[in-house]
Amino acid sequence: MLFVSIRSCLCCGEGNPVAEVRAEMTANVWKVLVKAGDTVADGDTLVILESMKMEIPVIAEEDGTITEVKVAEGDTINEDDVIAVIG
Amino acid sequence: MSTTTEQLTSDTSLGEIVHQTLDQPTRRQVASAGSDDSRDPIHRLQELSDGSPLRLLAASDGAVSALGRLGDTACVMFATDPRRKGGAMGADGCAEIVAAYNLAMRLDIPVVGVWQSGGARLAEGAFGLDAVGTVFAAMTKASGVVPQISIVLGPAAGGAAYGPALTDVVIVGPDARVFVTGPDIVTSVTGEAVDAEALGGPDVHAKSSGLSHIRAATHEEAFARAREVASLLANVKKSAAPTTPTRDIAELVPTNPRRAYDVRPIVDALLDVAPTELHREWAPNVVTSLGRLDGQPVGVIANNPIRMGGCLTAVASEKAARFVRLCDSFGIPLVVVVDVPGYLPGRKQEADGIVRRGAKLLHAFAAARVPRFTVITRKAYGGAYIAMNSKSLGASRVLAWPTAVVDVMGSEAAVAITRRRDIAELPEHSREAGIARFAAEHSQLAGGLDRAVQLGIVDDVIEPAQTRATLASLLATCTPTRSREKNIPL
Repeated sequence: MLFVSIRSCLCCGEGNPVAEVRAEMTANVWKVLVKAGDTVADGDTLVILESMKMEIPVIAEEDGTITEVKVAEGDTINEDDVIAVIG
Repeated sequence: MSTTTEQLTSDTSLGEIVHQTLDQPTRRQVASAGSDDSRDPIHRLQELSDGSPLRLLAASDGAVSALGRLGDTACVMFATDPRRKGGAMGADGCAEIVAAYNLAMRLDIPVVGVWQSGGARLAEGAFGLDAVGTVFAAMTKASGVVPQISIVLGPAAGGAAYGPALTDVVIVGPDARVFVTGPDIVTSVTGEAVDAEALGGPDVHAKSSGLSHIRAATHEEAFARAREVASLLANVKKSAAPTTPTRDIAELVPTNPRRAYDVRPIVDALLDVAPTELHREWAPNVVTSLGRLDGQPVGVIANNPIRMGGCLTAVASEKAARFVRLCDSFGIPLVVVVDVPGYLPGRKQEADGIVRRGAKLLHAFAAARVPRFTVITRKAYGGAYIAMNSKSLGASRVLAWPTAVVDVMGSEAAVAITRRRDIAELPEHSREAGIARFAAEHSQLAGGLDRAVQLGIVDDVIEPAQTRATLASLLATCTPTRSREKNIPL
């Protein structure tokens, strides 16, 4: 269950790499299921997008803590936009 | 190499003679002749053949070639020699690779190349370039005739990058660095600062460029995967003792058509054992896997709704098109599992070439001569319906589950266009009910499975639980055919 591209950022603190969860396609944000501070595990659903009449879950690909959620329900996002940051 | 080669090719029962030859101990058998140096090409060929006997064909300055077996599959194999001038390809090494290709063509067996090479030898100048060109020509001549597998274990630049790129399946190891030219020259000619891994490491080719079909975590895994692929591409006859899956396939697909899910468990459940997925990380919205169904080799193409809703994108179309041509070239029947909301529209996709690259998939299916069977599990909309091995493109048989929908688009989306004036005239409080009524009328008239069956674009409606048995029966009774088209690296 994957829909995210994760990019490790190497410039955000020693021993504390972050992963940016990015959109693979243009979509509407239907549901946001996490908030900053939440602990998430690999496989957890973070956000559900709506595009092409499909509900498409955005899944965490690693364990960590959500440091930032950059989208809100009802937003339209484009490919490669950052959805959330996992620290 | 001459004596062995002539003797092998003078008999008509070539396959049998290859195996007999490999089992006869001779001075040319090099089962224990390799050094412990993991870069030694003989050592690498021994690892590739998993210790089964090798018959040395030639060992020149730059490459070693041998006849051997990958599992039960007789193969010609060669490895560049990174211990000499970084494995750079000179006239001698190139001539040896061309000779290996010629032998494989005459014996009608696969060729497997193990690569670690800096490309054409600088000291040989244009002579070296010409030699590398003859390797490319030999590879292209063999394309679609015998399976070609490449394993890249280290840096492979220039000619050593395009060599693997011309072959059917490319496996990259953890140290593979494949590029037109390395980071030092990149920096000196353009000013771009980049390291070898960021330029042409496994991540680049597994996820972005699509050069790599399989990414292996170790050299051992790379060799094991090559043996697996050689067996799947070369042994197209039914094999014995399939394992019968027990999983209930219907429960793997959500009934709500808006709900996403991973299609790979369905592909697994249809096949005997876990399939060999190609391009797993590249364009994951379509899955392309080689495997066996009831012992019969198949190539499976499946939309994967968990990624981008399973839409066909520019890159996914190209990936699927190349897979169709691979299977068509080697007589591997296709099973196409369809659940597709459409070609993904939008500015990014248009710029990526959704039309130009999408056309490749239409062309690949329409031209394919190999038996090809479609299963529509949930929905097949629009141009993507046509592209996913529709009857109109020559599918051998189209099956659909009872709840499947075939249409230009979803019925509510369709009536929003065709009945927009009627909808606008409806009072607000009854608009939703009106749209539902129009949609139902539309389904009855234009979409719906019954209509698709009437038109003959769906041959059979089957229960999900019957899918594997139905496909097994179709595969058992179809006439084996293959195209003689080349497998151009689309």
